This record gives sequence, structure tokens and C-alpha cells, in this order.
Amino acid sequence: MTSDRPFGRESIIPYNYRRATYRAGIAVSSVIIAIFAIFPMYWIAQNAFKTRSAINDSITFLPTPSTFTFARFEVVLSSRVLNYIINSLIVTAGTIVLVVLVSLLAGYGLARFEFRGKSYFARVLLFGYMFAPIVLALPLYLIWNRLGLLNTYLGLIFALSALTLPFTVWLMWKFMQSIPKSLEESAWIQGAPRWRGFIDIVLPQAKPALIANALFAFAIAWNDFTFAQILLPREEATTFPPGVLRLLNSQWETGYGDFMAAALLMIIPPLLFAYFLQSYLLQGFEVRSI
Amino acid sequence: MLGRRLIGEGFSIGPITISPDGFWGFLTVLPVICLYTLIAVVPIGFAFAASLHEIPLMNPTWSFVGTSNYVEVFNLDRFWASMWRGVYYMIGSTILQTIIGVWIALTLNKMEFGQRILSSVIFSIYMIPTIIVVLLALFLLDPFIGFVHVYFGEGLGLWENYLLGNTELAMPAAILVGTWKFSVFITIFTLAQLRSIPDHFYEAAKICGANTWEMFRDITFPRIRGALLVAVFLRSIFMFNKFDVIYPLTQGGPGYATTTMPILAYRETFQGSAYGLGNAIAMVMFVFLAIGGILYLWALNPDEEVDT
Repeated sequence: MTSDRPFGRESIIPYNYRRATYRAGIAVSSVIIAIFAIFPMYWIAQNAFKTRSAINDSITFLPTPSTFTFARFEVVLSSRVLNYIINSLIVTAGTIVLVVLVSLLAGYGLARFEFRGKSYFARVLLFGYMFAPIVLALPLYLIWNRLGLLNTYLGLIFALSALTLPFTVWLMWKFMQSIPKSLEESAWIQGAPRWRGFIDIVLPQAKPALIANALFAFAIAWNDFTFAQILLPREEATTFPPGVLRLLNSQWETGYGDFMAAALLMIIPPLLFAYFLQSYLLQGFEVRSI
Repeated sequence: MLGRRLIGEGFSIGPITISPDGFWGFLTVLPVICLYTLIAVVPIGFAFAASLHEIPLMNPTWSFVGTSNYVEVFNLDRFWASMWRGVYYMIGSTILQTIIGVWIALTLNKMEFGQRILSSVIFSIYMIPTIIVVLLALFLLDPFIGFVHVYFGEGLGLWENYLLGNTELAMPAAILVGTWKFSVFITIFTLAQLRSIPDHFYEAAKICGANTWEMFRDITFPRIRGALLVAVFLRSIFMFNKFDVIYPLTQGGPGYATTTMPILAYRETFQGSAYGLGNAIAMVMFVFLAIGGILYLWALNPDEEVDT
């Protein structure tokens, strides 16, 4: 029996219409997503360049030549906020260095050596996610107080690094497994010691995972509020997130324009990183990491 | 000399033989173990010890009171109220973030124009410090000069007065503020999975006449299911533990209307100056989460996702 019906199944609605609906759906979705994603950033940016009175008088969507000013940045950079941002930079840099070194070493070891208890390591790492920052920070407050680490960069760097380890060690472990061991072995056969093979062969190949881990450490440290709020109680020592909140709740003579200017300064580094390093980020995630 | 022997043949201390692999392997994970011990194991032990004492914060003298802090915690009305608020916040946030996150990932994956630029914008949202999201939310909701307050609150008549001062609406507002940032977490997980699905699966399905929904159900969904379960699990834990959205936004107020468990532990410790009681709350939180986490892992077994 021959049939005139096309191969496959028929649908009541012709293909062209379904295709058009589907494409329209994607287009509408992307427009909605773009509006919700971009509006907050646009709002921060445009208000950072307005005079205080322009913000307080009425809601406007762009600064006009008469209300445009860089004065907000001058206010921010001549106040305590600059100090907070510098503290944030130091803590973030320290965390990135520590996390990258520790996760690189552990990832290599877990992927290349057989040792007792290794199988439990994954579960212990996974369990690390159960620790709430607040649950750890409350006891750490008195512990750091006794060890003299309260109000120090080092105390916060340790705490933040430990927080990133479940993710970063896992990622590095998985990534190292995807680098063939035979490359290293051929170097050993030619007389290279183990550390030489590690530096010349493993390290260059682990670059995507290194960058992903550095990015993750950056995101955690740059963002951290809870630990800094509790472990850096002193005004001069604290980082941007708790510092700026204290300013907001204090009597400091200020308007939202100043906070938007400070916010703009704080989001520029993450935006640049996200833009230039996003392929590494996805590559890192694609190792079926958690 | 010792170094060479370790590389070569290992050594033994009494009955325990340590192979070179064992020695060097252990050495590589030693920093992780040290940091973990210092930041996770010691504090949990310390918190447990502190929870058995009464410790005024300003004058940390420890007086042993046994389990009375725990008795007090379970008898506190605001403890149970905070517990339910925390669960409400966790479930509300996780559901919303999952739906929005997956939607964004599916859209980004199929967009024809501007895909790269929009994904950069979306990814960068996750990198914006939460405090800035909160600062902006406070600005947008300001009763005098806030865009959202003026246009949506007053303009559309959705709410009156200050949204975050409203006992009933403050919590949904806190959920929405967090959702803007944290949906992206789900998007990143999902998108990484979506990109790993080969195109020929869809081509084959199309030739067989499958429609879009069927392709999603039979190809896309099974592929993202595993990663999505892990992401949802992590999101639930993180949202239950979330401190840095609600605290800067409302400090747990108005009254106790947005006080979830972490906020309660903080308030009892630093505002109530009861360090022992605060740690007892933290311990209870930890135990609840650990039980929840173990049940989840046991019931849904996302282990295959994380196993080697």
C-alpha cells in the first residue's frame, strides 16, 4: 500500500507556523531576559553620574548635561569606602592565591596517587557544602579572638578559602583526570623528575581549571558579607560589603547616588572577568563538576 | 636520603606500611585537610561546646549550663517561627530560581542573535556582590525616589507605603531580590549540560517528526536532569543558609517578619549578646541540614552525577 502521507507524523498546525511560533517565543524570551538583566546595571550606572539633587527631585532615566557630574566618585573615593575597597582587594587576592595553590596540589594528588581514604574524600568534600557560613562564623568569632586573628586579613582569607574548597578541589580533581598520564610518563622516561613533569606538562594543560578556580575564588571573596561582617568587626579592617552597609545604616550624610557610584566601582572588575573569561568558566563546568 | 627512599620504595612505622604513593598523595591533600579542620571541624566542635555554656558576649566567661540552651531554643516561639520562615524562604527561592534559571538557559542555548553578549551579561550577574544587589533593591524600593516603588507600588497600586516595612510582603520581596542573582547559578549548570548534547540527536528527532515539546521531553530533559538535581540541592542548602540577602535588606525585620534561622542565630548572638544560645541555634541548624542533605542524597541518589 502506498501512501501520500509524508514521512513521519503529521501535525494539525503546519510546520512553518510552528517554526515561526517557536522562534517568536525564543525572541520574546530573550528580550524579557535582557530587560531584567540589564535594567539594574543601567540604573546603577546612570544614577552614579547624577547630582544629588537630581536624584532626590525626580526619577529620571538619563543624566542631562546640567545634572551630569563625577562628584559622586570624588565623594566615594575620598571617604572610608576607598579603604573598604582596598581591604576587599587584599582579601580577594590572598584568597585567590591560596585557593589556586591548595586546589592544584590536591587535585593533582587525588588524580595521580593511590592512597587510603581517597574514596571518602569526595564525600567529605560534598559534605563541606552543608556548613553554613553563619554556623562557622559564630564559633570562629571567639576562636579568632583567642588566636588574635580577629580583624586580620589572614583570618578572613583562611575562612573564605576553606569555603571554596569543596568546589575547587573537586573541579581540579576531575580536570586532572582528563589529562592523559602518558604525557607525564614520557617525560619521566626521558629523565625528567616528577616536579619537572608537573610544571612543564601538567600545569600548562590545567590552565582552564586554574582560571575557573581563580574566578570562583574571586567571586566568593569579592562577594563575601557574612564572614567579613562577623570576623572583621573593626571599622578600618572591614571589607566593602559590611562596610558599606554600616555606612548606609549610619548617620553618614549621603544619598543613594554615592552608593551607586561605589557599586559601579565594585561591579566593574567582575563584569570584565565574566566577559573575558566566560569560555573558561563553562569549560570548567563542563568537566561534569559539581 | 629520606626523600629518595620515599620516592623509591616507601617505609613502615611499626605495623603500618606507607607506600610512596600513599605518602605523597597524603601530602598533597594535607593543606586541604588542615584548612578544613581549622575552618569546619574545630568550629563545629567549638560551637557544640559553647552551646552547652552560658556566655555573655561582652565578657566571655563560660559557665556550664548543660543542655539548657537547647531547651531554651526549642521553647522559643521565635525559633519555630524562624524555622518555618526559613523553610518558606528556601522553598520559594529554590522553585522560582529553578524555573527562571532553566528558562534562561534554554533561551540562551537557542538564541540566534546576540547570544554571546547576553550570556556575558547573564554570567556577570552571578559575579555581582550580593550587597550591591541589595543596595540597588533598597534604592529601587525607596518610598520617595525609588523607581520600582513609584511606578509599580504607587503607579500600579501593588503595595502602599514602604514594601520592606510590610510584614506580609517583606518576605516575598526578599525572595525576589535573591532570585535576580541566584537564578544564574541554575542557568550556568544547565547551560553547560545543554551545550554537551550533540546536534544530531535533535536532527534525528526532527526527521522522525518530533515536535519541540517532545524533543525537550525525550532528549533535553533526561540530559539535564542529573545536573539539575545537584544544582537544586545546592541551591536549597544555600538559600536555607542565606544570610547576606536578608540581613542587609531588612536586618530580619520588620519585627521578626524576615528572620530566618541564620538571621536568628546572628541576632541572638550579637544583639541579644547570648553567645551560647546563638551557637545552640547554629548547631540545631547544622543538624537539620545534615539530616536533610543525607535524606536527599539517599532518596534521589545524585551520587552518580558526582561519582568518579
